[in-house]
Amino acid sequence: MAEKVEKAIVSIISEVSGFDEEEIKPEMNFFDDLEIDSIKAIEITVAIEKKFKISVRDEDVPNITTVKHAVELVNALLEQKAADAKA
Amino acid sequence: MPRLNANEYDAVIIGAGISGLVCGCYLAKAGMKVLIAEQHYKPGGYCTSFKRGEFNFAASAHFLGGFRYGNLNTIFNDLGIFEKLIIKKFDPSNKIITPNYIVSFWADLGRTIKDFQTVFPDESDNIEAFFNFLIKSDPKASLRMRTWTFKDLLDKYFASAELKSILSFPLFGNAALPPSLISAFIGIKIFREFLLDGGYYLEGGMQVLPDALAQRFKEFGGELQLSKLVKKIRIKNGKALGIYVDQDEFISADYVISNCDARQTFLKLVGKKILDQDFMDKLDQMVPSLSGYVIYLGIDEHISELPQTGVNMWVLPNANFELDNIYHTVKDGKFHNIDGYLLYVSPDKRSILAFLVAPFKNKRFWINNKKKLLDALITRIDMDIIPGLQKHIKFKDAATPQTMFRFTLNYKGAAFGWACNPSQLALTDFRKPSFIKGLYLTGHWTTKGFGIPGVMYVGHDTANMILRKWIA
Repeated sequence: MAEKVEKAIVSIISEVSGFDEEEIKPEMNFFDDLEIDSIKAIEITVAIEKKFKISVRDEDVPNITTVKHAVELVNALLEQKAADAKA
Repeated sequence: MPRLNANEYDAVIIGAGISGLVCGCYLAKAGMKVLIAEQHYKPGGYCTSFKRGEFNFAASAHFLGGFRYGNLNTIFNDLGIFEKLIIKKFDPSNKIITPNYIVSFWADLGRTIKDFQTVFPDESDNIEAFFNFLIKSDPKASLRMRTWTFKDLLDKYFASAELKSILSFPLFGNAALPPSLISAFIGIKIFREFLLDGGYYLEGGMQVLPDALAQRFKEFGGELQLSKLVKKIRIKNGKALGIYVDQDEFISADYVISNCDARQTFLKLVGKKILDQDFMDKLDQMVPSLSGYVIYLGIDEHISELPQTGVNMWVLPNANFELDNIYHTVKDGKFHNIDGYLLYVSPDKRSILAFLVAPFKNKRFWINNKKKLLDALITRIDMDIIPGLQKHIKFKDAATPQTMFRFTLNYKGAAFGWACNPSQLALTDFRKPSFIKGLYLTGHWTTKGFGIPGVMYVGHDTANMILRKWIA
């Protein structure tokens, strides 16, 4: 599951940034390494929200700096969603 | 491998709007064999000029902005455009004019802040904080605000309803949405690119920009075909293979870039057969921006009280600050009060433009209203800004939303692509649809910005995305 999430996120980042999926590494910084600017950051977030049917909260935004962070955040939000669905 | 056959290209671009031209320049400069096919007989899209006798008019876009805070410098330098243009900056670039006061946007930010503080002294600190926030580029702040409207942003800073309206009026004119509907991100972009760093005028008129880009494109080896209407994009096995033009002539290309409107791109050029129902539903739910009604006046040289030239004057003649109401009234095609308009006297002092936000409506509506509205607007300008104007007019005409459609084929004459609501911001499928390889959209229908700085950014970015793949 976690691997699938990472693959899907890398695919979105690749589509928006133009970097090939193979070039995108977990430690890479969105802004410094992947040339992500404001509009691209929004585009990636909107695409992730749509893909996983989740909402990224305002307070989560400062924590999204690297590919790894984005994957961790999406996993946490998916777990939360699953827990909410059970409850 | 070099392409030897005449009808084989590395990339074809549909439409020679500013975004298509910028994208084409970057691709051709990198060594790609590129064709731009444009249906009009001149390049530029909404950035064109036309002559009537001794008068030269900007058809729609009439100034440049975004050199200081935007990316125009980079693009102009990369493409060698500065050498081909003479650019003059006017200061102030924009003025908001009400019956009781005028506030101006100066090149000096401190002076702009003071202007607003003088009129709204109770909001002094908030004004300073707001403008200082606007000029900071912070991707994380933008990300946090991706779902905000401009009203949400203004409410964080200000209490005065009138100040909030005053700050939103140029956005209404520049994007055809009131603060409660326009995306905060786009609102900030308009401030940075059009208001806080606007007022750049091109000597010779706006046509010199697309002409300079077209010339550079050709110097880089690109081929521009005018009066060439693209009929279809050929798609096979989920990949764009080229375009069909007149008489079913096929032109093959590895990359197809559409600089025309998104509905036309998908529904007509790609074709419904290729689209799944989900995407078609999404396309149907997307709302285009409103259009514009523009008047063009040629004047003699004897007007004694001509206002400062080269300045966008945002006039609120009735002190009606209810922008939501104004928006809904004009959306219904009711103009009787003319509650707000944009007025611009060209630097050569021979032509005047005035703009109103206007709905598309049918031909009959505009046949009935074109002249009425022209006369009403001239009377309004005569009363508000240029006394005696009527006596000095040597030429007058107007462009309706139907005219906008006729020349640019933008869906419903939309002036700014899709309406810039937060829910229509940065949608990937309108940029690079995931279901068709090799197809890209560029320009103001990509949900990533509009206006000359906005579409130039997208054109540059589209080229970067393609070149990354092509070089690899």
